[in-house]
Amino acid sequence: MRPSSSIIGLLLRRLLGAVPLLLGVTLIGFLLTQHVGPDPIWELAGRSPTPAELAALDAELNRGQSGIERYLDFLGSLLRLDLGESLISGESVRSIILRSVPVTLALMLPGLILGIGISLALGYLAACRRGQWQDRWVAGVSALSMSVSLVIVVMLSQLVFSVWLGWFPARGWSTDNLVDWLLHATVPTLIIVLVNLGYNVRFFRAVWLEALQLPAVQAARAYGLPEHKILFHRLLPWAFGPIMTRLVFAVPMLLLGGSLVIETHFGVPGAGRVFYNAVLSGDQPLILALVVLTGSLVVVAQLVVEVGVRWFDPRARAA
Amino acid sequence: MKLVSTPSYRSIDRNAARAPNRARALANYLPMGFVGVFALLALGVWLGLWASGWREITGPAWAGPSIDHWFGTNQIGQDILARSLQSIAAAFEVGLVVGVGAALLGLVVGAMAGYFYEGWIDELLLWLTGCFESVPYYLLMGAVLFALGGVSGALQLAMILSFWPAVARVVRVRVVILRAENFITAARVSGSHPLRIVCKHVIPHLYDLTLVQVTLLFVAAIKTQVVLSFIGLAGSDSISFGRMLAEAASDLLAGQYQNFTVASVLLFLLVWSMNQLGDQLQAAVDPRRPGRFLRRRLDLM
Repeated sequence: MRPSSSIIGLLLRRLLGAVPLLLGVTLIGFLLTQHVGPDPIWELAGRSPTPAELAALDAELNRGQSGIERYLDFLGSLLRLDLGESLISGESVRSIILRSVPVTLALMLPGLILGIGISLALGYLAACRRGQWQDRWVAGVSALSMSVSLVIVVMLSQLVFSVWLGWFPARGWSTDNLVDWLLHATVPTLIIVLVNLGYNVRFFRAVWLEALQLPAVQAARAYGLPEHKILFHRLLPWAFGPIMTRLVFAVPMLLLGGSLVIETHFGVPGAGRVFYNAVLSGDQPLILALVVLTGSLVVVAQLVVEVGVRWFDPRARAA
Repeated sequence: MKLVSTPSYRSIDRNAARAPNRARALANYLPMGFVGVFALLALGVWLGLWASGWREITGPAWAGPSIDHWFGTNQIGQDILARSLQSIAAAFEVGLVVGVGAALLGLVVGAMAGYFYEGWIDELLLWLTGCFESVPYYLLMGAVLFALGGVSGALQLAMILSFWPAVARVVRVRVVILRAENFITAARVSGSHPLRIVCKHVIPHLYDLTLVQVTLLFVAAIKTQVVLSFIGLAGSDSISFGRMLAEAASDLLAGQYQNFTVASVLLFLLVWSMNQLGDQLQAAVDPRRPGRFLRRRLDLM
């Protein structure tokens, strides 16, 4: 790394470096859905099409072109954010995504943030009491959380909270007002926290353990600084990078990973269920758009975190 | 007959705080024992020794546990025990295929990238790894399942394609360190072909690391299969824990808990013991970093 590199220069260089990755992600999506995947023409043509109808559809889908030309076309329309129409409903893919992603965010973000907060605290406790009973209990709970399947947690929490206790609705989604949102989002939030707890606690325990070994922390402790001051002035700034990396990585994963089961099981019209329906019904443009957009989002998020962490690091800024 | 009190090492090394006792030593073998029992059960299913009648309706619907049906029957009178045993076998199948497949692919890519560190081969393989790991698991798997349709093995291939980058990253880091060793330099100056060096000298040093990765992949594959077959994206013609749980979802609403209890307890025990075994292996191989690498990205399954 050149010592004179400013943060803008770093950002630009990283952006350039991300271009091949973005191309690769789009290529994976394109190859899987357009090249290997089933031919959408039969989906569009309906029953017993005439050769003339098939030819018209061929022209409509630009199938006279070679694979490379179609890929470049696809890249061009992607840059214009023109994602085509759903094969099933005919609705534009962009409006489907714009409609479903906020639902998923409203469903998943509370659990994500709460989960990371709790895991930070538990990981800190375990790291500070390394080898003692607190550490062993936290390790046991994380092992439990990592071993229980998401499906079991989903079914059990629905059974307990919605069927037995009847506190929350068993299915459905509504964000008409705050109470409705809380009622519908509480059980999913609980599920997300429980399922992610083990992985997060393990990760943050390791981060805290490393931070506690820092000379600055040891010195602060030797000087008799109170624990909360050490935590907020020494440990947290150091752990900022790993925390941000984890948070930003978790968003796209959650958006379409965990939401797949939760949304299909609870009947929430979010991005996970949209993707699920698209795969089941073979809605090629929708699958392609979701794969490519989420993949690109991960690439960009990675880049932003890297540059952001560098920017917050005083050593990098001074250089 | 204790003459001196046991010294407390707590102040010196908190990792070794607890004095080892017999119960604790036995508890360490528990995960391995469980995995062994599950493996035997799966082996019996493959050899056709038991549970071959899992499709047949052999009793009344929702019968309680009895001599004929140890765990009772499901909604249409199929034996829950037989279906559980088949599910265990299915879990081992997907776990082993995906574990070995993804580990091999990751091993080869990671070893090549690491050996040609900072060369064009490394750049190319890193790019490939980066592309595949940028697409979230379920999206990549969904796209592969869509592309391959109902082809058998599509599910396994989808998981292998999603999981190998994590292995490749871990392997590459290890190989970059390894290639500075004298025996690699010796092989190089004596004129061995780079591919020969990778196969003969680098890869044999990665067996321990790969074994740990296989256990982690095994767990990830089972959990993913449960999720995908629960929501119906994985083949519906065979039985698995995901299918059992999907059936149990309607049982639960009818107030029948046998199917759910049996499937979830067995699934939990299998995953838990495999997780513990993986941790123990990792600790034995590399005591510094317990289970950090692959877990980073195998969340929410």
